[in-house]
Amino acid sequence: MDTAIQVSEQSRRDAEGYRRARLRALWVRRMVIFVSAVVLSIYVLAPVVWLVSSSVQTEAEITSVPPHWIPEEPTLQNYRAIFSATEEEEITYENRSGVDPVSGGFIPSTAKSLLPAMGNSFIVACAVVVLNLLVGVPAAYAIAKIRFMARNASVYFILTTRVIPDIALVVPFFLMIKNLGLLDTLSSLIITYLAVTVPFTVFILVQYFEGLPDELDKAARVDGCSRFQALIHVYLPLSLPSLVAVVLFTFLTSWNEFLLALMFTQTEASQTLPILLAAFTSDFTISFSFINAAGVLAIVPPVIVAIVFERYIVSGLTAGAVKG
Amino acid sequence: MTATDIPHTRKRGVWDRIGYEERSALVFLAPVMAVLMAVAVFPILYSFYISLFRIKLTRPNRQPFIWFENYTDLLGDHEFWMSVGRTVTFTVTSVAAIAVISLLIALLLNEQFRGRRFLSTILLIPWAIPYVANALMWKWIYDSGYGALNGVLYQLDFIDKYMVWLGDQDKTLMLIANAFVWKEVPLATILLLVTLKSIPDDLYAAARVDGATVWQRFVHVTLPAMRPGFMLVMIYETMMAIRHFDLFFVLTEGGPGSASHVLSWHIYVETFRNLSFGSGAAMSYVLALATFGLSYFFIRTLGRRM
Repeated sequence: MDTAIQVSEQSRRDAEGYRRARLRALWVRRMVIFVSAVVLSIYVLAPVVWLVSSSVQTEAEITSVPPHWIPEEPTLQNYRAIFSATEEEEITYENRSGVDPVSGGFIPSTAKSLLPAMGNSFIVACAVVVLNLLVGVPAAYAIAKIRFMARNASVYFILTTRVIPDIALVVPFFLMIKNLGLLDTLSSLIITYLAVTVPFTVFILVQYFEGLPDELDKAARVDGCSRFQALIHVYLPLSLPSLVAVVLFTFLTSWNEFLLALMFTQTEASQTLPILLAAFTSDFTISFSFINAAGVLAIVPPVIVAIVFERYIVSGLTAGAVKG
Repeated sequence: MTATDIPHTRKRGVWDRIGYEERSALVFLAPVMAVLMAVAVFPILYSFYISLFRIKLTRPNRQPFIWFENYTDLLGDHEFWMSVGRTVTFTVTSVAAIAVISLLIALLLNEQFRGRRFLSTILLIPWAIPYVANALMWKWIYDSGYGALNGVLYQLDFIDKYMVWLGDQDKTLMLIANAFVWKEVPLATILLLVTLKSIPDDLYAAARVDGATVWQRFVHVTLPAMRPGFMLVMIYETMMAIRHFDLFFVLTEGGPGSASHVLSWHIYVETFRNLSFGSGAAMSYVLALATFGLSYFFIRTLGRRM
């Protein structure tokens, strides 16, 4: 009897200890997650926040030591210069310092080409998106739904073109574009960007089409649809998520592309946003607060797109990468 | 479908012999094939052709055919091999860092907690921003006069005076790698997260029954199951790092001295500053072949499912 009491006492104490250990483990887990979440947020956000913060600082503030993390007298002067410059107003050192006497920062006369450059980036990106859809959708349908002889060969062919590094295409592209007389035109960018976008497009779409049942194709054909009609009326409406992903990727890739644009553009007629940004950074007379404002303008559209369409992007990235 | 199914009796040409499926596929694939021929196959062949000439744009009238001399010249080109070495350093460091950091983040995001959605959303920011914007952002952070890196380290008392960062030959390559890693980590994390989510819970339950600790479960269940994800990350990020150009252009232009003079920068300088298109084409051909070779090697050794 004595021993029985002791045993139950013992097990009670064990249970108590177990519960305490569990609570401690839960607490440790929560702390670890909390700390890593904070570290991750800082790692991801801090550089961007710093970029935005210094883009609204005056020249005096941006050159303070140690830096002002939060601007004490925020100003939109840089943004104003970029947006108002389109109204034929020449920005000179004099009228700049008239607006803000503290600012010794030089705002370049090229500030006014920022908006046209954004326009160029936008036109090129849209054209590349449209061409990608026109070319990629039928190809992906054929690979996913038609059983033909050279099917595997075509898959490998497209896969191989995806591995070619863009820098390896630069020399032949330059000579081709030069011989076609297309240097410094938007078309040169639209054409060459197809090389870096089309293979990826096809793979995202193939992945998605393969997930749609073959029976749909057969049923549509029995009802008298041609292959083309089956694609347009049956598969396209169903594959909207992958189409969204394709539109997003090709748009972002074109918007962000730098190397090819660096080769083919020379003047405002075709310079895209990244080209202008790079030109600013290599000019030591330009204030960093202005450069940062330009940088903020360049990252706002893609970041908004990424956040709004997060779901499509994540699923598209996985599909495209797994396949390719 | 066999040829006998074709009703008409006209003499059978190639067109009839290849069957209905092939013909319709041809129609659907024609546009993409035409585009890829024009912007991928032709340029790559043309590039090989160019690489057999000594083409100097400064001397347009003398462009002799020199067989493989551009390639054999590379063998003895000290600067070329130095730049290859720097590319290897950059690639290995970046890919290793990306693998470790994205694994940690993926493990975190695989847990259930409040704010997880927020974290995975903001994680897309580095992925989305243009490389040039990323470059100017880091250029400003690394700025030796007024940059944030100096500011933070100074205020936390890690350094007692401002330091030179990108201008320091020993640090440049690693600092550029850091900027590269920051931008590439999100994609790697997404790929690893998918693999993590696909590990069946039964495996963990079984390991727990067998008395495995958290660490043992991680080493013996999680890591082996993530092999395909890691493979993908290795292949993709290696390809990206080897060919990377934008950061080098904006941050250092190959400098200081030649501390960040990597292969892609070398090709750019040779082609567009020395205007020596023949040898530039030869170098980029070597880079393309190396890329093919590496992806083949990865696929073979790590046994990738296609």
